[in-house]
Amino acid sequence: MTAQIVDSVLEEAKKQDAKRVTEVHLVIGKLTFLGIEQVRFAYNILVNDTIMKGSKLIIEEKDGVIECPSCGYKGAIQCEDDPAYHVPIPTLRCPKCGKAAKILEGKECTIKRIKMLK
Amino acid sequence: MANNKEVVKGEEVTLEIEPGTDILEVNKQLAQKNLKLMREHNVKAIDVMGSIGAGKTSLIEKLVQALKHKYRIAVFKGDLTTTIDADRIGRHGVKVVTINTGLECHLDANVVARAVERISLQDIDLLIIENVGNLICPAEFPLGTEKRVVVVSVTEGPYMVIKHPFTFMTADVTVINKKDLAEIMKVDAKQLEKQVKEIKPDMKVAVTNALTGEGIEELIEALEL
Repeated sequence: MTAQIVDSVLEEAKKQDAKRVTEVHLVIGKLTFLGIEQVRFAYNILVNDTIMKGSKLIIEEKDGVIECPSCGYKGAIQCEDDPAYHVPIPTLRCPKCGKAAKILEGKECTIKRIKMLK
Repeated sequence: MANNKEVVKGEEVTLEIEPGTDILEVNKQLAQKNLKLMREHNVKAIDVMGSIGAGKTSLIEKLVQALKHKYRIAVFKGDLTTTIDADRIGRHGVKVVTINTGLECHLDANVVARAVERISLQDIDLLIIENVGNLICPAEFPLGTEKRVVVVSVTEGPYMVIKHPFTFMTADVTVINKKDLAEIMKVDAKQLEKQVKEIKPDMKVAVTNALTGEGIEELIEALEL
């Protein structure tokens, strides 16, 4: 995944004829399976030997948002905090009507902004 | 490209662009394309995910046995390097395409599209895709199937469901397999079922023993086949 991120940034930089990329701003949804720490780790390795070397990586995390097709509720994903489970587990149950909601936001991995030197 | 801001400082020109590229969107779009293509050919596709050793292949064998007289079936089998599972499924007289991913831990919509080129969609009604054994990465990559099944077995312990809520959120049907071993493993299948429904209230659940075929009818019903 991080390799794809780096490739996409390099492609954009090439289109702009940039000499160097100085900053990359990512938005990563909390409902993706991407670990911020691991993305950073892989990023720093992958940018070596590219014009992205030394660039600043900003990662903005985005909360999960659900929408209920039954009652129209739209809001943050809820957690079921039953002590029997040891941990709060996120649920797609609509907090308003109890039916199944759909994920609206939180599944993205977007390159929001790239700063570069021409 | 939404905004381009150019700033000139001395000789240096800083350019700021907002590409807005969603890295996961590429796969999602390819998945949509797969889905459309299959619908055009009246093919129903099913993605089967689950950990290594959950019983995906055994379950598919039983599904194929139960459904091969009703549907013309093809199976895609994601596997790192071997064709062992493909040979197992192939014994039942259906077309099997192995997708060797090499090092990759999941299938994606692109490799599925490539595999589709190797079969004739006119000649099948049902396509079962067995994902690579892994309960995490495949969930991130929709393949363009009508239904997604996640298989967990009681031998994986009592916490598989609550540890992987986001995987279950992407599925339509959950199979709780190896029900015959529940008592020995001291795992309550009913509890797993409750947790799955907690995470996704509209989830359909089938409790099975893929070796004997117990619960396969429930699964077929859940898959609306």
